[in-house]
Amino acid sequence: MHFAGVDVGSTTTKAALLDQDRALVGKSLLPTGANVVRAAQQAFQLALDEAGLEEHDIAYVVGTGYGRYKVPFGHAQVTEISCHARGAMRVFPGTRTILDIGGQDTKAIRVSPSGEILDFSMNDKCAAGTGRFLDAAATVMGLTIEEIGPVSLTSSAPLRITNVCTVFVEQEIMSHMSRGRKAQDILRGVHSAIAGRSLALMRRVGIDPEVTFTGGVSRNPGMVAAIEERLGAKINVSPLSQHLGAIGAAMFAVERAQGSPAPRPLVGELHVVGGH
Amino acid sequence: MEAQTPMQSAATPPMKSQDAGKNMQRQMMAQEYDALARAKQTKTPVAYLFISGNIQELFRSFGFLVVYPEINALQCGIKKAAGPLILKAEDKGYSSDVCGYVKNDIGLVMQNNKSPMGDLPRPDLLVCNFSGCNTYIKWFEALAELYDVPLVMLDVPYVRDGVIPKQDIAYIVSQLHDVIATCEKVTGRSFDKAELSRVLALSAKAEDKWCQVLETATRVPSPIDSFFEAVFFMAGINIFRGTQACVDYYDAVLAEIAERVERGVGPVERERFRVVMEGPPPWPHFRAFWELFKRWGVVCTAATYPKVGGLFDTGLRHDPSAPIESLANYAMNCYTNWSLDKRAELMEGYLKHFKADALVIHSVKSCRSFSVGQGDFRDAFVRGKNIPTLLVESDLADPRYFQEAQLRNRIDAFFEALEHRRLTTPAGGAL
Repeated sequence: MHFAGVDVGSTTTKAALLDQDRALVGKSLLPTGANVVRAAQQAFQLALDEAGLEEHDIAYVVGTGYGRYKVPFGHAQVTEISCHARGAMRVFPGTRTILDIGGQDTKAIRVSPSGEILDFSMNDKCAAGTGRFLDAAATVMGLTIEEIGPVSLTSSAPLRITNVCTVFVEQEIMSHMSRGRKAQDILRGVHSAIAGRSLALMRRVGIDPEVTFTGGVSRNPGMVAAIEERLGAKINVSPLSQHLGAIGAAMFAVERAQGSPAPRPLVGELHVVGGH
Repeated sequence: MEAQTPMQSAATPPMKSQDAGKNMQRQMMAQEYDALARAKQTKTPVAYLFISGNIQELFRSFGFLVVYPEINALQCGIKKAAGPLILKAEDKGYSSDVCGYVKNDIGLVMQNNKSPMGDLPRPDLLVCNFSGCNTYIKWFEALAELYDVPLVMLDVPYVRDGVIPKQDIAYIVSQLHDVIATCEKVTGRSFDKAELSRVLALSAKAEDKWCQVLETATRVPSPIDSFFEAVFFMAGINIFRGTQACVDYYDAVLAEIAERVERGVGPVERERFRVVMEGPPPWPHFRAFWELFKRWGVVCTAATYPKVGGLFDTGLRHDPSAPIESLANYAMNCYTNWSLDKRAELMEGYLKHFKADALVIHSVKSCRSFSVGQGDFRDAFVRGKNIPTLLVESDLADPRYFQEAQLRNRIDAFFEALEHRRLTTPAGGAL
């Protein structure tokens, strides 16, 4: 008996498969692209292939992420806030604060020792401080998203980037470049600016150690260093950090298949009176 | 998506008072807008007022018809007319940061006051009662210039520390005497104190009944939603105070609620969460916003927005025996004119009295008098009082600021966590 979580994010779609002992047996990651349903199906299939399983081996599937309602084979949907918290605690049981930076949103979540979500906060209406901000910086400097983190770490004199707008930051970077500033110093400044915004978001929910960093941007070593520098403490980062949402979703799948009580909306409930 | 189920099974006879309040209100609003459209013809003087802390009873006693630009903006929002009107004002140069209600109103002026509710009359007098909101001043200054009519400022002091100083009441009373002199000049009629007292007695009657409506939400399950429904029920208290029709309206609402209690029906089929709501609704997406809560079985058992037109549930009443002083006292005791500490205290009282599980804050970009301090409320309730609190953001008038996917995500995550806590803690996670 196996269980699946499929995390359909704005930029990438991830799938994770757990066995009944909650061990990870398969995973996948691919760009979401324009066809959300197909991305969910492909990610699921790739994870099945990696585990050497067939679809009928999977007892329960939970969808999460922005596209969670577009997982046609999903039995239930859980928000990525709950899933990231659950996934982070699966890998780092001491986690109390989670910072998740994805393609277009950033969230801070505070959890109790038993994994209960105590509070969360997210960026609103604006991609400043998210993966998109780094994409914009990489593009204008002619580098790839994989290159900018390591390059930033070679800086010895970081510049201060004051702009937090994803659109306007390009102009600020160009003006630094035209003045002959070093790429690594600019990039260190960009990473530090995002770290500052992320910390402000985390302070809204309260920063309790241990802090676990999840989402696509956590794969960037420059970002990990910038956050640790601002925080003055080490943070947990897993090689699986991009998959923690899918792993959390698969954990929910295990619980639900085993009949544990699970929160869910009253889909289909009627509205009795009113109707303004 | 959610299945549409018939409201009642065939075996159950229909409710006698189903939507009684709503139907009566629709009729009252239609009559009011009809009277406004004919104001010029009937030679009735027209005053423009704001809702919060307004002195409509005084104008009623002089025979004025009253236009509330905020109500017009609200109506345009819910009738999906706000977007194009806001763009008209932006084309004229109003910034995207200016309040959506203001821009909606400027948009209406630019199309000769032709509104989805009917033709609106020009004002004979603008009275800026700017309880709690300084944008009001600039709004009516702009209207005074556009219409070239007299503007009277009624400066209502902010309630800072809980006690209303006598000199603040005296300050408003002295201004009210000036307003009375202006009304006499505009209408050619003399001030009739007995008539004002008669009108205020009717206000007080309606205020009693309005409080009875709100109090029904202490029941578990609640027969009403004190936000999503109360924002309609508040129309009487905000627009029609001082009339017998307003008193009758609340009788109809109370009859409808009594029947709901008898039948055991409420705003959702099964009440799962009771919350206190802070902030105004997103009018252009009202139903969509409500659905995001209904799908979790959420009922708002108390809310702050319906108290912008007066904190009557704290015991405030208009007093026919001291008419002018009572208008002054009323003007100060409107929700957004209270300090942040007093607002937090009120919400904490609501959480207890209405047996709520959580606080939900809907912050709107347009309204600074509401949204300033809401981040601090969130911190104070989550950390200081250990009350689950959700903060979501959009706008009350501008449809461009409503991001359904983001809102759904936050609302789902919040109630998911609340439900999880309830399922996994022995006390059930209730407060």
